[in-house]
Amino acid sequence: MSRQLASFKLHLRAVATGLKYLFLPNRITVYYPEEYIELPEGYRGLIRYYPDRCIQCGLCAMICPASAMKMYRTKTDRKGRPGINYQRCIFCGFCVDICPQNALETTKVHDVAYKSLEEMILPPEKFSQEPISPAVAGGARKLKPVFDEERGLRHERV
Amino acid sequence: MDVAGVLPWVLRLLLSPQVFAPVVFPGLATALVVLLTVIWAERKIAARVQMRVGPLYVTRRLGGVLQMLADGTRYMFQEFIIPVTADRVPFLFAPILALTLAIIPFAFIPSAPGFSPIKSPYSLPAALAAISAIPLSVLLMGWASNNKFAIQGAVREAFMGLAYEAVVFISALSMGVLYGTLDLEEAVARQWLPGIVLNPVAAFTFFVGMVMSAGRLPFDIVEGEQEIVAGPFVEYSGIIFGIGMGLAYLKLYSLSLLYTLLFLSGWEPLVAPLYSVYPGIAGIFLFVKAYLLMLFVAFLRSVYGRYRLDQALRAGWRVFLPLSLISLLISVVVKVVGCV
Ligand code: SF4
Ligand code: SF4
Repeated sequence: MSRQLASFKLHLRAVATGLKYLFLPNRITVYYPEEYIELPEGYRGLIRYYPDRCIQCGLCAMICPASAMKMYRTKTDRKGRPGINYQRCIFCGFCVDICPQNALETTKVHDVAYKSLEEMILPPEKFSQEPISPAVAGGARKLKPVFDEERGLRHERV
Repeated sequence: MDVAGVLPWVLRLLLSPQVFAPVVFPGLATALVVLLTVIWAERKIAARVQMRVGPLYVTRRLGGVLQMLADGTRYMFQEFIIPVTADRVPFLFAPILALTLAIIPFAFIPSAPGFSPIKSPYSLPAALAAISAIPLSVLLMGWASNNKFAIQGAVREAFMGLAYEAVVFISALSMGVLYGTLDLEEAVARQWLPGIVLNPVAAFTFFVGMVMSAGRLPFDIVEGEQEIVAGPFVEYSGIIFGIGMGLAYLKLYSLSLLYTLLFLSGWEPLVAPLYSVYPGIAGIFLFVKAYLLMLFVAFLRSVYGRYRLDQALRAGWRVFLPLSLISLLISVVVKVVGCV
């Protein structure tokens, strides 16, 4: 019986904690498409490809653990150039690390919600364009995360 | 009867307690509004506690309150699939039966003194009987679906139904003993103190039984989304799935009304001016109390995780059934000592 009483106390404490958050909410999410958290330098977001530096060695496609990177060959270009499939990419950054020419680069853009599956596959031509964030393009307010002693995480207008 | 005579006749019919209480307030029409707002409130409350925003984009100015209407509309236009292996007639019949059984209690719930749809000395057990018959139709759903998950869910429903309806019944009975009546209207009249003060143990066990047997998130052991997909409702799609989802809330609504009548002194304090205008709407406090109670139950979703079936059953039989028997004892003592 004492065990039940002890657990009853714990139940009350859980409910009290819940009530505390209900009346003093501590929201840490942001209204995403209208607001946008600015990502830090060196963030491993979408990858950008610089074709002029690439020596078409194929190492990036070989190292990719998720088989997201693939060499696109054509009749005239037998060695091929890399393209990426964001349905599969896990943003590990191996491809960027292994590239001997620094022809791949991670960007700060990480908006990976797409309208269709096909849009997530980028052949070399598209892969070499600067990735754009639809939220930023749509005029989202930029926020930056700040550490708060009391609340934990807070977001401030930049 | 001429045309001019028809209108007052219809109005009189509509305003008679036999029609107004079950159909308009606190019955069907109100239940629908309650359903839409409570589900929204539940999602908002859970979001607040979990540091999120919750539904927002449907009617953004009002905080997304019409989200459930949008969801309901979506259900309405979804294809309703009947599996080839399902038992067609019971498959279609069971949800209708469930909905009917969920509505029947409103025929016994009085909303103001002298305003019961069916005035009966046994209105409390009658309402409870209808509510606790819902698991039978859920069993039928599971059986007719002819699907392993559905059968498992149905068996769970049977287990949970037995364990917690017993608790609800005994706690309700102990209040019946305390008030010396099984008539809900009388029970309110005889509460010189709210029942929750007279017998807190019964109030507690009835509450737990209510939360568990209503089977709403996260006490949806029967559906167990992550374990058995949706239990008895797995084969249902479209609007019938929506009904299955609403069923838990409908059940919770009628149980909350009963709880308010039994433990929170029902419609007291009665709003006299409203009563003199029309007795049907004088039960506004009954509704407010029941609604707040529902909101509290909805809030519990953000505090608890889902219990395992065996944990829930163990608690039901080992803790809450004995507790409810104790509450019966307390009632007898209070009655004999002569406070009432
Ligand atoms: S980041 Fe990792 S998963 Fe993505 S393409 Fe590069 S190697 Fe593959
Ligand atoms: S590893 Fe670098 S240089 Fe080699 S194919 Fe990939 S992008 Fe081009």
